[in-house]
Amino acid sequence: MTTTVTAPTSAPPVTRRRSPRRGAVVAVAIVAILVAVLVPTYIYPYAAFTGRAALVLATVAMSVQLMSGTAGLSSLGQAAFLGVGGYTAVWLSRAGLDNGPLQLAAAAAAGAGAACLCAPLVLRARGVAFLMVTFAVGELAHTAASTWVPVTGGDNGLYGSYPTLWPTVPLPTSDLASYLYLLCCFLVLAGLVALVLRTRFALALRAAADHEPRLAALGHRVTGTLLAGYAMAGALAGAGGAMLFSSRISIAPSDMDFDTSALALLAAAIGGRSLVGAVIAAVGIVLVRDQLGVDTGGHAQALLGAAFLAVAYRRPVVAWVRARRSAWAVARGRR
Amino acid sequence: MAVTYAVTAVDGVAFGLLLFVVAAGLTLIFGVMGVLNLAHGSLYLAGAYIAYLLSRGNLLGLLAALAVGAVVGAGGGAGLSAVVRPLTGHLEQAVATLGIAYLAADGFSALFGATPQPADPPRLLAGSIQLGGVGYPVYRLVFIALAAGIAVGLHLAVTRTRAGVLLRATVADPVMAAATGIPTGRVQLAWMAGGGMLAVAGGVLGAPLLGPAPGVDTTVLVLCLIVVVIGGAGSIPGTLLGALLVGQVQTVGVLAAPTLAPFALVAVLIAVLAVRARTGTGVRLT
Repeated sequence: MTTTVTAPTSAPPVTRRRSPRRGAVVAVAIVAILVAVLVPTYIYPYAAFTGRAALVLATVAMSVQLMSGTAGLSSLGQAAFLGVGGYTAVWLSRAGLDNGPLQLAAAAAAGAGAACLCAPLVLRARGVAFLMVTFAVGELAHTAASTWVPVTGGDNGLYGSYPTLWPTVPLPTSDLASYLYLLCCFLVLAGLVALVLRTRFALALRAAADHEPRLAALGHRVTGTLLAGYAMAGALAGAGGAMLFSSRISIAPSDMDFDTSALALLAAAIGGRSLVGAVIAAVGIVLVRDQLGVDTGGHAQALLGAAFLAVAYRRPVVAWVRARRSAWAVARGRR
Repeated sequence: MAVTYAVTAVDGVAFGLLLFVVAAGLTLIFGVMGVLNLAHGSLYLAGAYIAYLLSRGNLLGLLAALAVGAVVGAGGGAGLSAVVRPLTGHLEQAVATLGIAYLAADGFSALFGATPQPADPPRLLAGSIQLGGVGYPVYRLVFIALAAGIAVGLHLAVTRTRAGVLLRATVADPVMAAATGIPTGRVQLAWMAGGGMLAVAGGVLGAPLLGPAPGVDTTVLVLCLIVVVIGGAGSIPGTLLGALLVGQVQTVGVLAAPTLAPFALVAVLIAVLAVRARTGTGVRLT
């Protein structure tokens, strides 16, 4: 029997064996969770403020990474679904449904629904065209949010009330409690995404990035797979909207502006194929924006711009350094 | 009522042609190097700030602004091609141009502050003329003529000149073009510079219509991208049609149905994409 060996176009072959990095990833995750819980609680209370923004951006970054890291489809309009989820949560709150987990689930469902609505428009495109169309959809959603006053309250946004943890258990309104609630939401969502990424479904998404016609020829429904992935990404971003609402009990169009989409894309690009990498990158981006940006006299945009360029040039620079190093090694060997 | 609509439609033509000039630059850059230039709005904004600094209400100032803008635009396009050339993946290229857009936005707000700056047309063109009993700004009509001239000139340059032939050959098959002796690198550089010049010239001429302010870069970029998606990436006549359509939706559409206007662009996008098969993947320059 002959085996067909094919060169992977961009992805390393996905295998089921345990990678040696896995232990390190688990250790990093445990340390990160401990730091995330202990630092705002005991050491630096102000971290709860920045932490909430970081958790929301990390959720949106996971949502971008879910599709960019597997199917190679990088969305530049994911903040649209954050907005859909956020407005869903605020309307539930205004209707008297204050249950936080319920809002989270409803926002995720709304995000998934919105993604399904956009899918016929968005999923025709691949590569650069996907960036273009998602960017257009995201920005049109942003414009719609600021002009559709009866539903979104215009540029001022809408206010609700603090969510409860369970119908009878109110969530304490302190910053720390709200941060810890967001952390729980985030960990549940991250766990779900990590599970999804270990299934055959994620393999199919990867295959779609590597060789879509072959996947289709094998009998897979590529469009259906991509649709499911895109809906999951929308659900995640929608859940991020509910988290954002619960941290401030308000949602405004400025929450779903281009910056949110761009920074989530940056985090996903830094993470590459790694979900943990995207999350760490999102936290780092928020730290740069909200802490370093203030320290440098409001030049957060320049810092982020430099970060964008550094991410873009990471691979060429690493390749150049490696080539130089091997050239030196060869030269030394000759001598 | 009919007059109001007619005048608004003329406004729509002016706005559409403004979008065309900028979006043609975007589509050229996309066609030549396959790069989604997310710093394109920053080039427009640079042009608008140059107009604010130099034009000062006289015609000579506007011409000076155009000259400076041409240099800045050519430099911007060439610099962009230098930045993007070492990068291979489309995500990396987009992220790099996004980085430039962020750096530019920081620079603009450091130099010009957070408030919108006035950019008046030259006094010679500042008046208004009677158009069906309604006063209409002369500058907009002049702008329509100028932009229409740019559209025709660009079309002729791409279809009738030697540079245009080299461009089309390079876009259609870079490897084959290089094998036949065409200096593809130089052709790409030249047309990238041209794309940058179009964006900055759009900013200089369009400043009285859509003036310099923080955030204008994103607005222009979004509208241009929609134009390019509607027109079919890489097609200049398509870009013109898309730009005129978006211009009408943004002016007459807002007047006719203010509540539906935010969704009108989405509806147009869906309708166009539903008619056409897969978008944006086929690059053609005709």
